Amino acid sequence: MKKFIQIVAVCFSVCLILAGCDNGSSSSTVESTGPQRDTVIIKLMAFTPDTLTVNKGDTVVWINQDIVAHDVSHFPDRAWHSDTLNPQNVFVKVIDDSSSYFCSIHPTMRATVLLKK
Amino acid sequence: MRFSAALGVAMFILAGCNSGNNDQAAATADSAQAAATPAPEAAPQQPALNDAQIASIAVTANQIDVDYGKIALDKSKNPEIRKFAETMIKDHSDIIKQATALATKLNVTPETNKTTQDLLDGQTKMNETFKGLTGDAFDKAYAQNEAAYHEAVVNAVKNTLIPNTQNAELKSLIESVVPLLDHHLQMAKDLAAKFK
Repeated sequence: MKKFIQIVAVCFSVCLILAGCDNGSSSSTVESTGPQRDTVIIKLMAFTPDTLTVNKGDTVVWINQDIVAHDVSHFPDRAWHSDTLNPQNVFVKVIDDSSSYFCSIHPTMRATVLLKK
Repeated sequence: MRFSAALGVAMFILAGCNSGNNDQAAATADSAQAAATPAPEAAPQQPALNDAQIASIAVTANQIDVDYGKIALDKSKNPEIRKFAETMIKDHSDIIKQATALATKLNVTPETNKTTQDLLDGQTKMNETFKGLTGDAFDKAYAQNEAAYHEAVVNAVKNTLIPNTQNAELKSLIESVVPLLDHHLQMAKDLAAKFK
């Protein structure tokens, strides 16, 4: 009888653990609305997309897929900027504010990151 | 004299365009004749330039602008001229690297041809012009030549090199250079406008 009670207790514990796991899954779904990662492709002398809207704290990754070097620089004063990005190089930045940016090597290449309101 | 290098490329473009028009006119005449009499089996049409010649032209045209940039860095103290020259050296060197790597991969040996030689002759004349200039006169001549040279090269690439290139990878590389050349042309025009 004692053994039976022990088995029931173990089964109950397992059920509780499984229930907890379900709750965990639910909370991880909620977490997916946290900081996101967006990508901007640099190719054919353009930033694509040329306007990207993100939440504050999101991360943007710029990938240079062009045939020449570029950089990513705050417009117009280069308050923040990447190093020179040779082909296939990547620049990563957490976005805290809306800003326009450009390639200081090829200044007509311009784009914008906007914060969602 | 000042734009002799650019004129060399322009002559090449005109030659390319003319030969294209002639081909088109000949094709029209041929098709009219075909309606009247049974045609003999047509020989496959040969491109005006083969891929080895196109690779040679592409590398030479890029190298010439690298060389002009080096002259500008040697002679000019103007920050805008120097920044532009640095960009030309870096960008055109990057293109040469990729063109050379692709030619190696495709086992294509760049083949010197009349257009390559015309480009080099134009460069020799332009270098002579640059030698006699200093200060603002040099800066003005360099900026104006860059605008004329890029305009000629853009036209040559769009109207002659791309249509004649047979290998898909080489064609893709040349096509991918067009936005860069267009951008260089606009930069050069903006720069030249400051020296009028």
